Amino acid sequence: MKKALLILIILFSFLLTACWDMAEINQRLFVSSIGVDLNEANGMNKYLVTYVYPNINAIGKNATEDKKKFTIETASSSLFQAGRKSSTREEFPFYYKHLKVFIIGDELAKDSKLIRQVIDELNRDTKINKKIQILVTEGKAKDILDSKASHVPITDETIYNILIDNKSAARFTPQTLTGMIKELDFNNVAILPKVDKIGDRVTIAGAAIIKDYKLIGYLNEIENRALAFIKNKVKLELIDLEYEDGLLSYNITDNKSSKSVTIDGDINVNIKLKVEGYLQGYIISKDINVYNNSVLVDMERAIENQLKKEIEHTINLSQEKYNADLVGIGEYLSKYYPKEWNKIKGKWDQIYPDIKFNIIVEANIRRTGLTK
Amino acid sequence: MDSKNKISNGQLKALMVTIVVGVGILSLPSDIAVIMDNDGWIGILLGGLITIPFIIIIDRLFKLYPNKNFFQLGKEILNPIIFKIILVIFLFYIMLLLSISVRIFADVIKAYLLETTPIEIIIITMLLSVSYMARSQIEVIARMAVIIYPIILGFIIFLLIINIPNMDLTNIYPVFQLNYKALLKGVLIGLFSYAGYEFILLVLPMAENHKGTLKYCLNGIFIVIAIYLIVFFITLSQYGIHQLKREIWPTIAIVKEIDLPGYFLENLDGIIMAIWVMVIYGTLGPFLHFSGVVLSDILNTKEHQYLILPIIPIIYIISLYPKNLVQVEKILVKIFNYISIVSIMIIPTILFVLGLVKKRRENQ
Repeated sequence: MKKALLILIILFSFLLTACWDMAEINQRLFVSSIGVDLNEANGMNKYLVTYVYPNINAIGKNATEDKKKFTIETASSSLFQAGRKSSTREEFPFYYKHLKVFIIGDELAKDSKLIRQVIDELNRDTKINKKIQILVTEGKAKDILDSKASHVPITDETIYNILIDNKSAARFTPQTLTGMIKELDFNNVAILPKVDKIGDRVTIAGAAIIKDYKLIGYLNEIENRALAFIKNKVKLELIDLEYEDGLLSYNITDNKSSKSVTIDGDINVNIKLKVEGYLQGYIISKDINVYNNSVLVDMERAIENQLKKEIEHTINLSQEKYNADLVGIGEYLSKYYPKEWNKIKGKWDQIYPDIKFNIIVEANIRRTGLTK
Repeated sequence: MDSKNKISNGQLKALMVTIVVGVGILSLPSDIAVIMDNDGWIGILLGGLITIPFIIIIDRLFKLYPNKNFFQLGKEILNPIIFKIILVIFLFYIMLLLSISVRIFADVIKAYLLETTPIEIIIITMLLSVSYMARSQIEVIARMAVIIYPIILGFIIFLLIINIPNMDLTNIYPVFQLNYKALLKGVLIGLFSYAGYEFILLVLPMAENHKGTLKYCLNGIFIVIAIYLIVFFITLSQYGIHQLKREIWPTIAIVKEIDLPGYFLENLDGIIMAIWVMVIYGTLGPFLHFSGVVLSDILNTKEHQYLILPIIPIIYIISLYPKNLVQVEKILVKIFNYISIVSIMIIPTILFVLGLVKKRRENQ
């Protein structure tokens, strides 16, 4: 009896080994970035999907292969369908958990329905990290992913590093999947960083304006910076401006902005911006030319005017050219004035261009560097 | 083995937290946000406060009839046949709770962890491992609760800490925008998320020290309210109201949102799942045990151990009856909600009122 039991247990232990559906790490293709473009062909395959995955054999000390990454393009009807389709050509299955960068091509971004489909696929998937970085390119996403960035072997790695490590940068504003969805939920408008290919290198600068899941225009670096000031996203930034007979260079180390809205028939928005920083450079001369309170105050006024001009320009752009609530006034109203918001949210597009913005900038030069 | 089969008050509190915090915590923020928007916390708070009078009632009931357990007491207060009917309702309620929990548990595990494993296997393995514990006495289960209790607290604190860096607290606004219809519905949903606290009907008589039981039970419920509120505010501030409504299990999805400096902590869902299995174990174990105890009283058997395994196929069948999660919500959860009103509110109240009347009459 005991022997029979023992044999039974030994037999069962073969069934209970845990590795019957294992997948070796080098038998998976870790997709690190995806680009989608519009496919002009008729029929179902509206997307041209580009997958980039690193060559695992080329990573590490004992690399056996040279090529650091592979890209694969497929015309497909949906995002993940592309992976299925490519599986006829690839030896291992794709694995999406480590996806980091998602790039949308210009032409595709102009089609609201196609963008909604893609975003829903990403948002619904259980594997994908919702912190993936989303970008828009003015050309084709596949060109960006194909290009050889000069100093780092894998392009998408470059893009990811630029976005993550330069968090303080105001020239572009990194945007994640959830961040984008959140902004579109609240404001119906979101901005995504714009990536471009100049020569062989990729640059990230400016922003693409997405309204109602549709690309409606771009902001350049300076406009994006103005927006970043309003949204409190600037940590470190250098501002150059013409001042009297030289160039004044002002390094911003701290930035605080606050919004307040008054509603009395019209909607008035007050934006108060307070920046702190130090003098980075002016012009050298025999006399002491900066270390003087009245000079500093005058410089502060000049900086304030410059910033105010930039911000007003951007807001004008958002009101007149794009009619897109970039600043997030709708979100602010829905949170702090829910009753009024419920009345006007249906016709927000007609109301937004007529809102009066009142911008107050306060700049402080705290230090002048090492010299007087 | 020397089993005195008594539990201490600390164990009672731990049981309260581990039993009440179950599958509900995953979907609660989203469920309540759909109905009450940003004011979901009011529903959670009020739902929790409503349970307090019933806890007091149950506690008083056992003070009226000291040294009697639930079954003896029920037979004394009510007609034995009516009491049997009540027990059957109770059993059905517990089985439904088990089925729903194990089904949602399996669906979550399948979605996040074991995508190619059949859901039947997940359910069966979980039920079998739970049944091992359910066969033991309440004292053993209470010790298990003491082990799991700090894990739940640690889980919540961990969730809070990793989310602090990118919480947007303005997402909590606007507050106090509710209408009364939504309030009523939301409070009910909040209340259902506390289902399970009535386990004290079965456990209170086993307490070592009858004096402090009420205090410890209430402490337990307050901890649960705090846990639910923290989870609601974390998910709301992280997601914003619109995305929160969209998520099915915001409490787990939230770990995919964390973004710590240095990005060495990413894709934490594996760790969270491991904790999650224990949280569910802490709900399923005691309830499977109770279902055995209740069934053994209905069948007038002395031991409950032998009834645990026959219950498992029934739970398995009920849990696999709905085709998908939507049907789980539509069919099982709906029936469960109706029955839970009966078993967590009406049964204790009836027992208490009749018991009180009977005691008064005896005294006269």
